[in-house]
Amino acid sequence: MNLLSFLSFLILAITLLTMVFGVIAYFLYKARERKKRVINLEYEVILERENAQMLFFTKE
Amino acid sequence: MVKIFQKILFVLTMVGGLYLTYLSIDHLEAIYITTASSFIRFGVIFIFAFTLFIVIRYLALMFFSVIQTIQTSADENLSNTYSELVTLVVPCYNEEEVIVPSLRSITEQTYPNIEIIVIDDGSKDDTYKLAKSFEFDNGYKSLRVISKANAGKSKALNYGIAQAQGTLICTVDADSRLDKFAVELLVQRFRDPDIAAVAGTVSVVNTDTFITKLQALEYIEGLNMVKNGQAFLKLVNIIPGPLGMFRKSAMKKVGYYSHDTYAEDCDITLSLIAEGYKIDFEPDAIAHTEAPENLLDLLKQRYRWTRGILQAIRKNKRFLWHVRGNASISFVMWYMLFESIFWPFIQIWGDIFMIYLALTTGTSQLLLFWWILFTVLDIAGAMYCLLLTKEKLSLAAYSTIYRLAFITVINIAKIFATIEEWFNIEMSWGKLERRGRIG
Repeated sequence: MNLLSFLSFLILAITLLTMVFGVIAYFLYKARERKKRVINLEYEVILERENAQMLFFTKE
Repeated sequence: MVKIFQKILFVLTMVGGLYLTYLSIDHLEAIYITTASSFIRFGVIFIFAFTLFIVIRYLALMFFSVIQTIQTSADENLSNTYSELVTLVVPCYNEEEVIVPSLRSITEQTYPNIEIIVIDDGSKDDTYKLAKSFEFDNGYKSLRVISKANAGKSKALNYGIAQAQGTLICTVDADSRLDKFAVELLVQRFRDPDIAAVAGTVSVVNTDTFITKLQALEYIEGLNMVKNGQAFLKLVNIIPGPLGMFRKSAMKKVGYYSHDTYAEDCDITLSLIAEGYKIDFEPDAIAHTEAPENLLDLLKQRYRWTRGILQAIRKNKRFLWHVRGNASISFVMWYMLFESIFWPFIQIWGDIFMIYLALTTGTSQLLLFWWILFTVLDIAGAMYCLLLTKEKLSLAAYSTIYRLAFITVINIAKIFATIEEWFNIEMSWGKLERRGRIG
């Protein structure tokens, strides 16, 4: 295998891996944001979203 | 000596770039002749046209940038006589980590006639208390802090502008530290009455990790080559959040900041260009800001930027075909559309096409030539920009990884952001956590 072929293969492999890594990283980011949004959810936000004056929790 | 070495390296990379362009074209031609597949033929022509376009873009921006730099150097001899009152508006939300060095740098500005208005946009931390300790009024300079309920950056900016006495409005992000001559340099650009806004330079302050070094390189190229090139045409397309100055009367004419996009800075710049105003750039007015230090934070930032820019483009889409009415806005819109959508899509499509080509025809050298060609262009661009700035020459070496991995990952995030914007998927501002690196 000559140098040019080796480099070509190397770049090809890195490009492929980077693309897979890029997709994974994006979904990791989305998953982190979704988790953060749930943790940071405030009472007032839920109240506004539910369009209610008060929220009641029932005991099972 | 170092500068001479840099210049020699710059010339060598440019010559190398031209040789690689020739090799790539030669390779593409060979594939085109030998293949019978119409898909591959189409792909080859497409890649050729795209590559040629990118090479021309690089050369044109570099050429415009060189002329702009020469013009700016000639203008430096003009006397400093412009002394209008400038109002600095600093919107902040939960900035306790960075507000002190930021306000200290603002109060230390050399420009004498300054009014500083800090808008605390309902912070839940000690931002208001810390900012309040800076309040003063000595007749020439003053700083006051106003607190309001949280409603977003654009509304905080408009709230501050409504209180402003100055005829020039300088907007500064609370996570940025200004060089002491920044305001003075920006003001001088307003000698031309057609100038409605001037963009400042943004410099990455935390260049101690691999990912922030890559961003530093990106900022240097994006500002010194791209923005400087755009400044030659007086059509800078975005006034950056960390530092920008506006003529208040022009802002009033376009209705100040709008609240319907996540890129209010891009939106207002487009509105000003559409009104026929000129937008300039001052390379020596520097705001130091901290860049995201991990990949997920970086993706979060780029996701918001991409969707914000697309929202601004969509909002102003009527100007895309406005060539006869105002060719400038039409040109800027197409340029932004290319940079934010077409380029990422074509780059990723090109990579996939070449991988397909390698797997089906065994021709894997094209991807190597393509990558080297773009890397050489990046190195040449970086060399040129590093010649203009005081940044370290070693940053140019990061161009190899920049093109091979960094841009690919960013482009993938841009593509997903574009798709989500297309389908109107809900999004939030996505504020980054500050680490207090600007002090």
